[in-house]
Amino acid sequence: MTTAAAAPFGSPAAGAPAGAAGGAPAVAASARQVTKAYGTGETRVTALDAVDVDIARGRFTAIMGPSGSGKSTLMHCLAGLDSVTSGRILIGDTEITGLKDRQLTRLRRDKIGFIFQAFNLLPTLNALENITLPMDIAGRRPDRAWLDQVVETVGLADRLRHRPAQLSGGQQQRVAVARALASRPEIIFGDEPTGNLDSRAGAEVLTFLRRSVDELGQTIVMVTHDPVAAGYADRVLFLADGRIVDEMADPTADAVLERMLRFSGADAPAAGARPAPAPDALRKGADDRTAG
Amino acid sequence: MMLRTSLRNLLAHKGRVALSLVAVVLSVSFVSGTLVFADTATATFDRLFASTAADVSVSPKGAGSDDDRQYGGARAATLPDSVVRRVAAQPGVRSAAGDVSVQDATVVDPATGKAIGPTGGAPTIAGNWYETPNPALRITSGRVPHGPGEAVLDADTAGKAGLGTGDALRVVTPFGDHRLTISGVATFTTTNPGAALVFFDTPTAQRYLLGRTGVFTSVAAYGDGSRSDDRVKAEVTAELGPSYTVRTAAESAAQAKVGVGGFLDFMKYAMLGFAGISLLVGAFLIVNTFSMLVAQRTREIGLLRAVGGSRAQVNRSVLAEALLLGLLGSTLGLAAGLGLAVGLVRLIGSLGMHLDASELSVRGYVPAVAYAIGVVVTVLAAWLPARRASRISPMAALRDHGTPAEPSAHRVRAAVGLVLTAAGAAALAGAAASHGGAAGGSLLGLGVVLTLVGFVVAGPLLAAGVVRVLGAALPALFGPAGTLAQRNALRNPRRTGATAAALMIGLALVTGASVVTSSMVSSASSQIDRSVGADYVVRSASGALPPQVVRAVTGTSGLDHVSRQKQVPATVTTPDGRSTETGVNAVSPTYARDLRVPAASGDFGAALTRGISVDQGFADAHRLKVGDPLKVAFRGGATETLPVAAVTADDSELYKGQLFVGLAVAERALPADRLPLDVMLLAAAAPGADTGKVYADLQKSLADYPQVQVKDQADYKALIRKQVDQLLSMVYGLLGLAIVVAVLGVVNTLALSVVERTREIGLLRALGLSRRQLRRMVRLESVVIAVFGAVLGTGLGLAWGTAAQRVLESQGLDLLTVPVGTIAAVFAGAALVGLLAALGPAFRASRMNVLAAIATD
Repeated sequence: MTTAAAAPFGSPAAGAPAGAAGGAPAVAASARQVTKAYGTGETRVTALDAVDVDIARGRFTAIMGPSGSGKSTLMHCLAGLDSVTSGRILIGDTEITGLKDRQLTRLRRDKIGFIFQAFNLLPTLNALENITLPMDIAGRRPDRAWLDQVVETVGLADRLRHRPAQLSGGQQQRVAVARALASRPEIIFGDEPTGNLDSRAGAEVLTFLRRSVDELGQTIVMVTHDPVAAGYADRVLFLADGRIVDEMADPTADAVLERMLRFSGADAPAAGARPAPAPDALRKGADDRTAG
Repeated sequence: MMLRTSLRNLLAHKGRVALSLVAVVLSVSFVSGTLVFADTATATFDRLFASTAADVSVSPKGAGSDDDRQYGGARAATLPDSVVRRVAAQPGVRSAAGDVSVQDATVVDPATGKAIGPTGGAPTIAGNWYETPNPALRITSGRVPHGPGEAVLDADTAGKAGLGTGDALRVVTPFGDHRLTISGVATFTTTNPGAALVFFDTPTAQRYLLGRTGVFTSVAAYGDGSRSDDRVKAEVTAELGPSYTVRTAAESAAQAKVGVGGFLDFMKYAMLGFAGISLLVGAFLIVNTFSMLVAQRTREIGLLRAVGGSRAQVNRSVLAEALLLGLLGSTLGLAAGLGLAVGLVRLIGSLGMHLDASELSVRGYVPAVAYAIGVVVTVLAAWLPARRASRISPMAALRDHGTPAEPSAHRVRAAVGLVLTAAGAAALAGAAASHGGAAGGSLLGLGVVLTLVGFVVAGPLLAAGVVRVLGAALPALFGPAGTLAQRNALRNPRRTGATAAALMIGLALVTGASVVTSSMVSSASSQIDRSVGADYVVRSASGALPPQVVRAVTGTSGLDHVSRQKQVPATVTTPDGRSTETGVNAVSPTYARDLRVPAASGDFGAALTRGISVDQGFADAHRLKVGDPLKVAFRGGATETLPVAAVTADDSELYKGQLFVGLAVAERALPADRLPLDVMLLAAAAPGADTGKVYADLQKSLADYPQVQVKDQADYKALIRKQVDQLLSMVYGLLGLAIVVAVLGVVNTLALSVVERTREIGLLRALGLSRRQLRRMVRLESVVIAVFGAVLGTGLGLAWGTAAQRVLESQGLDLLTVPVGTIAAVFAGAALVGLLAALGPAFRASRMNVLAAIATD
C-alpha cells in the first residue's frame, strides 16, 4: 500500500471523534453487569452472565468465542438490537437499556452503523442508494465530499449504479462498509462481516475497516470466529459461556489461534485451516502510514 | 405419502392459503347459491301453478298469450256463460266453473290513498271467488264475499298493508271506482310468490272487472276421474270448436311458467355471469398464491430434486395441494351458498317476491356443479405454478438464500399480450365503425375479450411501465419509504401485474357499465329535449290507464290538449306478401305535436289522420315507400288497408321501430270491449298557462289513482335517470363481489411479499427505519398496485364503453357521456382499497422482531 492510496481518507483528525486524536481513549460503548437470559425455570438459558465491558473510542475491538458463547448476543445488546434481562448498556453517555422502540430506532439510525455477515443490501436499491440509505431514512443530506471520499476509498466509484445482484460478494460487503462509514456513526458493529467471503475478499474488507479506525478514528466492534480477522483488531475479547474470559491487546492471528485452542479444542480448527494472509504486514503498512 | 406432504404444506402456509380459499369459497357459494335460489323460485312457482290450474281450462283463443301481454292495456277476452254449461255437460267432467281473472285492476287503501300490492314485477289479479275441488286459497278469517260491497284479499297483501276483515278497500278498474269492505282474508295453500289477489262474488266480478254480467275470462273444469285430462281436452275441443283454447292442467302450468320463467332465467344467468367473473378473478388469486408458495419453496423443491425427486413428483405435489384446497373451498362454498340462497330469498322478499326459505330446493346437481367448479378452477389455476415448480433445477438448493428475483417480463409473453391487445383494439374499432351493423355486437364482444386477455397477458410489461410512472412521484412525496415502495412494486412485474389484473377486471366492467348507462341517460335526456313537445306525460305502474283516469286528465283546466296512445296487437301484411306480428300505436292526431317524429318522407302528422306511418327500418326491410298499401289485421277486430303516409326516422328509442295510426282507425276496427286501454297520455299546457300550476292541478286530479304518475319533462328525465341508476347499482353490487375477491388478492400479495422480505425488513429496521416508515412503505406499495389496477381497469372500461356506445348509437345511444365522477370515484376507491388491503400486512411487518427477521433463512 502506498501513501497515495490513503489520501482519500484525509488527515486522521478530520471528522474523527475527539477521543481518537490522542490521549486516553474515551469509551464509545459500555456494558455494566449485563445479563441476558432466555426462557424461565428449568429451560432457562443464560446467554450473557453479568458482563462488564468498555469499548474504547477510536479503536477496533474484536469479540471472539466459540459458538454459543454469547458473542453475537453481546454485540446485539450493545447495538440496541436486543434487550437485556438486567444490567445497563451505554452508547456514549446515553443509557439505551429501557429505551422505547422509537428511540432505539432513532439511535441506530443516527449513531450506529451495521455490517452483517450476508444480505446487507436491499436488492431493489443500487450501490449508491444502499450507501446513503441510513441518511435517506433520517432525512439527512449526505456530505457529498465525504461520500465521494468513502466511495473512492472502498473502490466502488464505477459500481455505484449497479444493483447488489450485479456485484460480487466482496463488492457487496464493501458497499456495506461504505454504508456504515458514510453516515459517520459513533460506532460500527460488524457481525461476522467477512464470514461469507473468501480470504482475499475478506482481507480487503478488513483492511478497509482497519484503515477507517487508523485514519478516521472510527470505532468498530466486530464479532468473529476467525483468528485471522481478529488479528486486524486492536483488542480481542474472548467470550465463553456468556462471560468475558480473556482479552488480548494488539493481537496477531497466530496468537489468537493459539489462545482459542487453549479455551476449547473444538471450535478453532476451522479457522486454523484457512490459508492465513499476512495481517502483520498489513498492520505494519497501516502503522507506517499513520506514522507518516 | 404425497398427500400427507401436500396436506402438511397447506397447513404450514395456512394463513397464505386462507385468502385463496376465501376466493374459492366466495365464487363457489355464489354459483351454488344462485342455482339453489333459482331452483327454489322455480319450485315455488311450479307448486303454485300446479295448485291453481284446473284439470282442464278453456279460454277464448288468443287470450292471455305472450304476444298480447307485451302490449299494455290489452283487454281481457271473454266467453259467454253458455260455454261454462257446455263444458260442464261433457262426459268425464264433474264440475265446471266460470272464472273471472283480470290484471288491470288497482287496489287502493282508502285510509292512506296508496296502492297496495306488489311494487315489483308481480301482478295484481282480480277475480271471482268460487268453490273448487282443490282450492289454491282458503278463507282463514272472515267469510266469502257476497254482493257488490264485499271483497276478499289474500293474506300476504293484507298483512303487508295492515288491513283485515272489516276494513275498507277501493278497487279501480276500467269500469269504475268501487268502494268495498273486506269480508274475509284468504291464505294460499302453497307459497304465494308475490301477486296480490282480490276476489268478489261472481256477478260483482263480472260487472266490476268485465263490464257486464254473463261473461267469463275462462272456464275451469274438474274431471270425475273417469278419463284422462287429455281425453277430456280432446272432447271439449271437439264440442266447442276452434275459437277456444283448451288446456290440461299440465299445459296451463307450463304456459304460466313461460311468463315468469323468462324473468327467473334472466336473473339466474345474470347472477351466474357475475359468479363467473368473480371465479375468474379468484383464479388470478390462486395462480398468484401458488406462484408465491412455489417461489418461497424454491430451495426446498431444489433439495427434493437434488435427492432424486422427479419433475412429475414435484408437479403432482403442487397439484395435490390445489386439489385439497379446491375440495375444501367447494365444501365451504356449498355451505355458504345455502346461506346465500336464504339471503337471496330474503332480499327478493323485500323486493316483493315472496318465497319461503324453509322450502329451499337443493337438487343433486348443485353439489356436483359446486365441486366441479371449485376443484377444476383451483387445479387449473395451480397448473402454471406447478409447471414452474417442476422446472426448478436441483441447483436451486445450493444457491444463496433469499428469494430469487423472478425474470422480468418475458419477451414472448409481452409480444403475445401486445398482439392480443392490438387485435382487440382493432375489433373494438371495427365494432365502433359498424354503426350498429349486424357484426357490431359480435365484434364488440370479441374486442372486449381480446383486450381483456391481452391486458392480462401483457400485465407484467404494463406493470413495469405504468408503475414506474405512477411511482415516479413517490420518492419526492414520501422520502425513503416512497423510494422503497416504488422499487418493491416494480421488482416482480408478473406478480404486480396479476394482482392488479384481478382488480382491473371488476373496475373495467364498472367503468364500461357506467359509460354506457350515463350515455343512456344523457341520450335519453337529449332525445326528450329534441322530440317531446308535450309538457306532461301520464303513465301507470300497471301499464294501462283506465277511462276514468283519462277523463280526470282531460278534465283538468289549463291544458291545451291531451293526446292518447294505445297499443293494438296486429298482423301487418306488406305488399311483398310477408306478414309481421307487431303492435301498432293508435294515437290522437295531436300526438304529432307532442312527440316530434321526424319523417324521412311523407308527413307524420298526416299519417295520424289518414294512413299509417312506418319507421325507416321497417320500410327498408319491406321496400316500402309513401303510398304503398298495408293490410293491418287488428287482433280481435277488422282488417284495414292503410296507405303508408310517412316513413319515420329511427334515430331515437322513443319512436324507433314503431308504427303509428290514428286513434280513429283503431276505434273503427275494434269493438269497444276489445279496444285496449290507453298506455300513455301526453298533454300540453295551454298557451300562457302557468305550467307549474297546471302540473300541480294534474297531480291533484290524479290523486285518487295512486298507480298513475304524471311527470313533467324534468321529472320524466329524473325518472329515467333513477331507473338507470337502479340498474347500475345492481350491477355495482354484483361486481362488488369480484372487487372483494380482487382485494383479497392484493392482501395476499402484500402478506406474502412481507413474509418474503422478512430479512430486508429486519435490515431496514436495523438501519433505523421506523415502524411508521415501514408501514408507510407497505401501504404505498399497496396503493400503487391498486391504482395501477384502476388505471388499466378504467382504460379498458372506457374503451369498452365507448365502443359499446358507438355500436348502440343507432339504437338511441347517440350521446357519449364519460362519467368523470364515477371514474374519479374508481380511482379514489382503488387507493382506499390499497390502504385497506395493506392494513394487516403493514401491521405485521412493523411488529417483526428485528433480530429474528435478520436471522431468517
